[in-house]
Amino acid sequence: MDYLYSILILVGIYVVLASSFNLIIGNAGLVSIAHPIFFALGAYTAGLTAIHFGLHAIVATLAGAVVAALFSLMMSLPSLRVSGDYLMITSIGFQLGLLQVIKNVEFTGSQGGLSNIPTPVTGPYRGLVYSVVSLAIAAAVVWMIRWIVRGPYGRAITAMRDDELAFLALGRDAMRIKIVIFAVGCGLAGIAGGLYAFYYQYVSPEQFEILASAAMLTMVVVGGMGSTLGPVVGAVLLIALPQAITFLELPPGIMAPLQGMLFTLLVIVFMFIRPQGLISPEGPTPLPGHRHGNRSGPR
Amino acid sequence: MFMFDAVVLAQILWTGLATSSYMVLFTIAFALVLKVVKLWNFAQAGLMAIAFYAMFAAVNQFQWPTVVAVAFGLLVTLAASLAFEIYGLRTLRARRTSSLMFFIFTLVCSEFAAYALTFIFGTEPAPLFAQIVSPVRILAGIAVSDWDLLAVAVTLVLTIGLALYLRLAREGQFMVAVADNADLAELYGINAKRAFGAAFAIASVFICAGMYLYGARTAVIPTTSLQLMLFAVIATLLGGMGNVFGAAFAAVALSLVQSYSVLVIPSRWQGLIVYAFLFITILFFPRGVNTSGWATRLRVRRAPAS
Repeated sequence: MDYLYSILILVGIYVVLASSFNLIIGNAGLVSIAHPIFFALGAYTAGLTAIHFGLHAIVATLAGAVVAALFSLMMSLPSLRVSGDYLMITSIGFQLGLLQVIKNVEFTGSQGGLSNIPTPVTGPYRGLVYSVVSLAIAAAVVWMIRWIVRGPYGRAITAMRDDELAFLALGRDAMRIKIVIFAVGCGLAGIAGGLYAFYYQYVSPEQFEILASAAMLTMVVVGGMGSTLGPVVGAVLLIALPQAITFLELPPGIMAPLQGMLFTLLVIVFMFIRPQGLISPEGPTPLPGHRHGNRSGPR
Repeated sequence: MFMFDAVVLAQILWTGLATSSYMVLFTIAFALVLKVVKLWNFAQAGLMAIAFYAMFAAVNQFQWPTVVAVAFGLLVTLAASLAFEIYGLRTLRARRTSSLMFFIFTLVCSEFAAYALTFIFGTEPAPLFAQIVSPVRILAGIAVSDWDLLAVAVTLVLTIGLALYLRLAREGQFMVAVADNADLAELYGINAKRAFGAAFAIASVFICAGMYLYGARTAVIPTTSLQLMLFAVIATLLGGMGNVFGAAFAAVALSLVQSYSVLVIPSRWQGLIVYAFLFITILFFPRGVNTSGWATRLRVRRAPAS
């Protein structure tokens, strides 16, 4: 049963991560892949504040979300001057640079990671409580994102994504929308980080490397970039699918790369066979991934 | 504590230059593809890993001589990069896919290569040869190893060769024409697809040479190449997009800054310098540190109003 709970908790965490990532990359069209670092900031902040200041898990998780949102400003305020490829490369540099800092300072546990994070729930119902909380947070996040993108603000986000020049010509402030979207998306990743830290009671820097970016990207692309339910389906599928291989009881040295190969191969197959993902985005507007015309990619 | 001993500074300069050799090769490969194909080729990390492990298998498992192993590595890298271009990029181009999807595709291909190589070779760090220390001679108080000399010589030969190819060879000139304006080049009868393929083929040569030099001195794991490629990305940005040899100079400068930084900061923070440069470059020099650009702006300012 514990195994099932741990999968449900992971599903909840990754639904939050994939949905918030989709808000940034799919809905707002901001090509940043640094999402795992905001997940890390949430996890480390929650863990450290709980260890050193004895903060309650809820307060510590909220602190993690706030820190992640603030750090998103550190990245977005200067780097949103540039867009597209430059933003993407800045985000990689931001992610790897910050991880380098985490790996080299002592209070984060350096390379060895942060352990002994106190858990607020103990006893036989720990797994059940965490799964309920995780899935409830995931449902609330999906509902909130759906509410944002279907409302007037969502229409403004779509308009900005599809034609920023026309959007600016109408007197709208694209920069402000980008910063807000970044902060909201990254803050949500921070909440997922807090949840992760309190359940696993251990975080280490290598969990948040570029491979984590690829995993989140996979969930969004396979599920359907720009659709609210797409990342949910992507996250559920890509957490559940590798579990099928676990029953083969292969050694971890083979299992991990095999799961990775499965992840990446799935994305490649989807990109060629069904580029819109499993769930197509709502509405008639084109997506960043399928846009024709002047913003298409290399010739 | 600062150390201003001339021999120490000269030693750091020489070692920095020698170490920059493979970085220059990776940067040229990255910058050339960006210039000609207009693609931020993050799959280069995967190609780098493929090149290394092909040579590694040839040397350590098949026990082939070094020259044959390098030729095998080159052949495998060439096949992988051409397959990536022909079966992957051409399809996406035909669909007029956005930059984001190209980026995802290149990154995911790189990840797939890393996972596949981890599956085959494991995560144990492995150098190309059992012996990674090369003989050293002292010249004017500076330690110069055989590896240093080989690295500098290979980099110079390949870089000069590329410069001559682009300037003098017909195919090279076609490549420059495609890089400038692919549509116009095609109107003049130049085959853009062939030029793209040639860019990937040349990049494969640089990647293979770079991984040979790197692997001959350092142990490698399948994800090592991602870090190395990021350096190439930053040098390409610093050198100015479309300026292949400017990027190569930037790679040398960046390597030297990293080398000299040991005088003022602990070595564990050396890696952070690259990211600091990335931020500074993107914020202040998004088009690269390009003096010709400043000269153009000056000329425009001085031009009389019509």
